[in-house]
Amino acid sequence: MESRWLRWVGPGVIALGAVGSFATATLGAGPRSWAPRPCSGGAAERTAAATLPVPTALPDLGLQAWFRVDPVIDGAGTLQGQRVSLGLDGVRAVRTMDLPPESFASGPFGRLVLIGSDDGVASRLQAVDVAAGCAWPVAEESAVVRRATIDPAGELVYEARVDRASRVDLGVWSRPLDGLAPARSVLPPIDLDDRFGRTFATELSSSTDGQELAVESCGEVACRTRLVSFDGRPPRQLAEPDLGLVAGVDGDRIVAYGACRGLPCPLVVTDLASGLRQVLAPEAGLADVVATSDGPRLVHETLGADGIGLRAVGLDGGSPIDLGPLPAGLRLMAAPDRGGSTTRLPHDWVLLAPDGRLPVDATSPRPQLRHLTDRTTVQLDEVIP
Amino acid sequence: MSASIRFSLPGRRLSVRWLASALAAIVGLLAAAGGVTAHGPDPLVGSGRWNQDQALAFRWRTGYVPTSAIQVAIRNAAAEATATRASQAASFAYNTAGANLIGYGTGATCGVNGLACFTRTPTSSFTMWLREQGHVYDWGTLKWCQAYSTPPSGCYDAENIALDEFGHVEILDHHVNFSSESDYGDAVVQTKSRTNPIAGWNRHAFGRCDVATLQVQYDVRTWTAKYSTCLSLATTLGLTSNPSHVASGGTVTVTATLKVANDSSYVRLALNPLSGRVVTLQRSPHGKNAWATVGTMTAGSTAGTYSRAIQLTAATDFRAVFATPTDEGLRAATSATVVVAVP
Repeated sequence: MESRWLRWVGPGVIALGAVGSFATATLGAGPRSWAPRPCSGGAAERTAAATLPVPTALPDLGLQAWFRVDPVIDGAGTLQGQRVSLGLDGVRAVRTMDLPPESFASGPFGRLVLIGSDDGVASRLQAVDVAAGCAWPVAEESAVVRRATIDPAGELVYEARVDRASRVDLGVWSRPLDGLAPARSVLPPIDLDDRFGRTFATELSSSTDGQELAVESCGEVACRTRLVSFDGRPPRQLAEPDLGLVAGVDGDRIVAYGACRGLPCPLVVTDLASGLRQVLAPEAGLADVVATSDGPRLVHETLGADGIGLRAVGLDGGSPIDLGPLPAGLRLMAAPDRGGSTTRLPHDWVLLAPDGRLPVDATSPRPQLRHLTDRTTVQLDEVIP
Repeated sequence: MSASIRFSLPGRRLSVRWLASALAAIVGLLAAAGGVTAHGPDPLVGSGRWNQDQALAFRWRTGYVPTSAIQVAIRNAAAEATATRASQAASFAYNTAGANLIGYGTGATCGVNGLACFTRTPTSSFTMWLREQGHVYDWGTLKWCQAYSTPPSGCYDAENIALDEFGHVEILDHHVNFSSESDYGDAVVQTKSRTNPIAGWNRHAFGRCDVATLQVQYDVRTWTAKYSTCLSLATTLGLTSNPSHVASGGTVTVTATLKVANDSSYVRLALNPLSGRVVTLQRSPHGKNAWATVGTMTAGSTAGTYSRAIQLTAATDFRAVFATPTDEGLRAATSATVVVAVP
């Protein structure tokens, strides 16, 4: 019997062909790129689309947007573009957008996914309402927009830019979500610091308490994080060369990997107020800071010779819970800065997916949801209405 | 438990704190910025070790197969890791049935930054990913030197990067350089990779401080093998005489035993016998403390032993001396004095 998951992804498989073979796909062999129609409505409607509440229960997953970004590589092994797959968890259709090499997707923010693309002349940013199947332009910039995010209030878009010719950091800018007002600078370029080297990537995210924008500037291995308050308080910075990618931010606490090139890697929480550090996991795999009914908790893989396990721990290091082993082939779906894919889940749940990424084909194993307190595990396709 | 261990570099000798366990990573992170282990053997990336000389076969990840040029670079790096490990660390080789997957493109286990990444779960498996040619970073577009007939300025050498990754897979964390980075050549496993034509961009062998940690964690291959000059291991030298006394004109055989000192921080190297070294025998009239060199002792039948037969006509004090070698990371030792009575 065809599962709901297979029904969900089935059309995507048909439409995409062998999506799992992106790495060796020839550009142009894929489906026609989806061009969403323009959205109607004003700023209020757009804010409403961006602030759709987080699902409260598993049946609500059906209306949640998801996305996944895959590189499109030609036969010579050179990146030719990015393919963004979009959909709703409970809807069969998978839409794909073929974008230039310098492109990104972020979100979901309510029903929205932000899509940024640069054609070598200008960067364009559009907000895609996945549920409505429409989009609107947010920005067109001569500078290169590397990343963008939407604030929790659904009113402002924040974008990280670099200069087109020199690739020098131009800082972080914000503009209204409806794109009808010019951008203004909210954070200057990050200082040059040889301990981190040149900046490879800048990531933008909101803290779990929704109070601050986290601006993560990463060298080849180590990262610096600046926190920009949404209410105008002075920015704060964490700049330690032995820290790497951020797993999550909550208030004064920044949870980050060590400056590792791979996994396992220590996960460390730093309290910006006190400067104190605590190792939450000495050797962690994929990880994420997850909202739970008891506040944010770090969920991470444990990598051992006998397989991959899952563990949750409070950001104060308390109440660690062993969440059991992961099925073969499934990994924790981590933040999109690692997996390039994500969807929103109800509190207290995490998603286990092939290689830690939302699949767009029907290859096994099937994704699972696992509850953070009672370890309940369910197949994703069994809970989508 | 931590132990004090001394490491040396040419022209300087440094005392550092070093942990020979998984706690190294934790302590490093807890230390103040810049307070981590400096200028010595590479730190550890984790606590897990492979079995000694474990053969790790890899194959290409289905759907993410590297280009032929990158494949060659990775295979070469695997061979170089194996050939230059100078220890019983794991070996790497490509095999179509290999259990360990290496991919090209974007892997979920990689973050947004970096040129390549890995996972390691000794003694089970490892994975590795290399970014695709043309990947766009904030600073610009990734160029692999292997993609060009003449490597352009600014390209990264995939062979060097893959060797760095194999080092991580073994157990190595990034080498901590001097602020001047004058010691960059001491390790391939580096926080910041270099591009063509900056010195070190195409290094294709583990550096001495990579090897130092591999030796500590996996042991040397033979008792005559040289210890990395990135180490500075204390040694012990014992001395016995057989018989312990002899009639005038009789002959005794003096035997020295040279070992690496018994220090827990030396992990697998502690108490290793040291064969093939130069151990010198000295003598003095009993109680006179007037030492004269007898000569070099010859290798004994047991690993780490050296002996010399000598005819005596009077009571004599003996001691053996092992001078600090210039070509390996061992420190000098002098044995206790052995008195041979001649009644």
